[in-house]
Parts: sequence; C-alpha cells; structure tokens
Amino acid sequence: MNIKILAIVISLSALIFVIDLIRREKLMFKYAFSWIIVSILAVFFSIFDKILFKIAYLLGFQLPSNFIFFSLLSVFVFLSLLITIFLCQQNNRNDIMAQKISLLELEIKKIKEKENK
Amino acid sequence: MKEAFSLKLSSDVLVIDDGSVDKTAKMAEDAGANVVSLPFNLGIGAAVQTGFKYARNHEFDLVVRIDGDGQHDISYLEKIIDFLLKEELDIAIGSRFVGSLSNYRFSFVRRIGINFFSSLISLLTDYKVTDPTSGFRAYNKRMIKIFAEYYPHDFPEPEEILVADRYMAKIKETAVKMNKRVSGTSSIRYLKTLYYMIKVTFAILLDKFKRKGDDL
Repeated sequence: MNIKILAIVISLSALIFVIDLIRREKLMFKYAFSWIIVSILAVFFSIFDKILFKIAYLLGFQLPSNFIFFSLLSVFVFLSLLITIFLCQQNNRNDIMAQKISLLELEIKKIKEKENK
Repeated sequence: MKEAFSLKLSSDVLVIDDGSVDKTAKMAEDAGANVVSLPFNLGIGAAVQTGFKYARNHEFDLVVRIDGDGQHDISYLEKIIDFLLKEELDIAIGSRFVGSLSNYRFSFVRRIGINFFSSLISLLTDYKVTDPTSGFRAYNKRMIKIFAEYYPHDFPEPEEILVADRYMAKIKETAVKMNKRVSGTSSIRYLKTLYYMIKVTFAILLDKFKRKGDDL
C-alpha cells in the first residue's frame, strides 16, 4: 500500500510541476502538452493500479513492472526524437537568420560607402 | 576566410567569413572584396549557401566557388566559366583527374576515398564525376536559385551532385590544376578520414531517398 501512495505523490507532483511551469511561462503549452498527457496518465494509473495490471496481463507481460518500464522507455524514446526534430528546426532557423543578418550588414555597408563618396 | 566567390566579366568578388577569428576578413576587405561576416561559425554548407543567396539577391548569371585556402588556381577561373557557358551546363566541376594537367599528389587514403565516392555517385546517379570532393565549381543561374533555397548542410561537395540529380541538372568536368594544401599526417588522421567517409556515405545514401525537386 505504501508504494501506491508514493506513486501517487510522485506522479501528482510531476503534474503540478508541469502546470506550474506553464503558469509561470517557463514552458510553452505547445511543447508542454505531451508532458501533461504523460503525467495525467501517470496519476491515473497510480490511483487505479488494477487497470494497469489488467492491461499488462492482456498484453502478455509476465510482470506489471515490465509493462511499466517498457511503456516509460517507449515514451521517452519518442519524446527525445521529437526534441531532436525541434532542435534541427531551430538550428535551421538560426542559420537562415545568421545568413540574412550578415548579408543585410554587407548591403548597409555598401549603401553607407556610396553616401560617403 | 572560408569561401571565396568571384566573377569575371562584370565581376564581383564576395568573401564569406564563417566566424573566423583571424584577420583574413579584414585583409579581403582591404583588397577590395565584399566580405560577408557570419556572426558565428555556421559550417561549410551554410557558409557556401550564403554566397548563393547573395548571388540570387543580386541576380547574378553565374557563380564560381573558390576555396579560401589557396588550393584553387585562379588562372583556371576563365576556363571553367567558358566551359560552363559553351557546354550550357548547370554545374561545371574543376577536376584534378581529367586530362594531363594532373600533377597533384594524393595520399593513399585520400585517393581511395575519392575513388570510392566517385563510384558511389556513378552507382546512384547518371553522372560520371572523377573528382567529387573538388570545390572548384561554376554554377549557372538555375543552380544559384536552387542552392540559395536548398543546399546540403554537412558535406556539400559530394552531396551537391545528389541534389543536382534530383533537379536533373547538367554536370560536366573540366581539367584544373590545384595547389597542394599544407597539411600534416598523423595516425589519427586516417581514423578521421575513415569516419568522414562513413558519414558522407550515409549522407549520400540518404540523399537518394529525398524527393525530386521542382524548379524554383
């Protein structure tokens, strides 16, 4: 029974933490949404652990804990792939911006030189 | 100094300074070239692309790309431009292996690498390119527009050919001489070359999966 309370406390604090981060504008909703879903699921399953055991049994896992580890791992692999996609997008935008700024700098310099002549 | 673009006829020399800390940018500026100074190191692909964007914005008819390390012999500039215009090419590549000009000495590892990429490219595309790592190239207006918009990031010289293949560009090589680059050899360099080869092979193979492009 103790472990159930621990699980509920941890998953609930994760959910509250995510909500608080959004509230303080540290996380944008767009990127925090997946975390909200994950922590709501965690709270739900730590309260109704019987459902978790049933799903684990139906899917053919020998132990419910195996099911938990497997699903957590899958979620994190997926999340880190999403983060890499986001990183590449930012990197791309950064490059385009640097190119644009330096090209504009050159054009401004040229205009100034023309004026001074 | 990372890359130098230059044009004869009504020419315009553009030097791309990819966040270098030495005085090459200042030197190029004093020599009368237009210098684009990138705020930080973007890497070779994005640096070269900056040149194509400049050429596109100014509606240049052609671009010749020259490496900044003095490896490319400027006296072949006109030859490569003439070749591009006469053969009506999209890309003219200055090759060290065409014709009898070649007195360029390669290390054994480098030669294997270049031959390997040459065969890989002829396997994946219809092009026969003897010197796929050469950066001494001329481009027409069509390629300027395409590369200003989309340019390979990581290994631009060999990957450019794969991009060109997607746009069904016309590519041919002409003989050029290149000066020897000053470089030392150590055991780590061989491992690095091997690592580079594996990376480029993956990049080229992945390029093959990308969509065919529409003209811009």
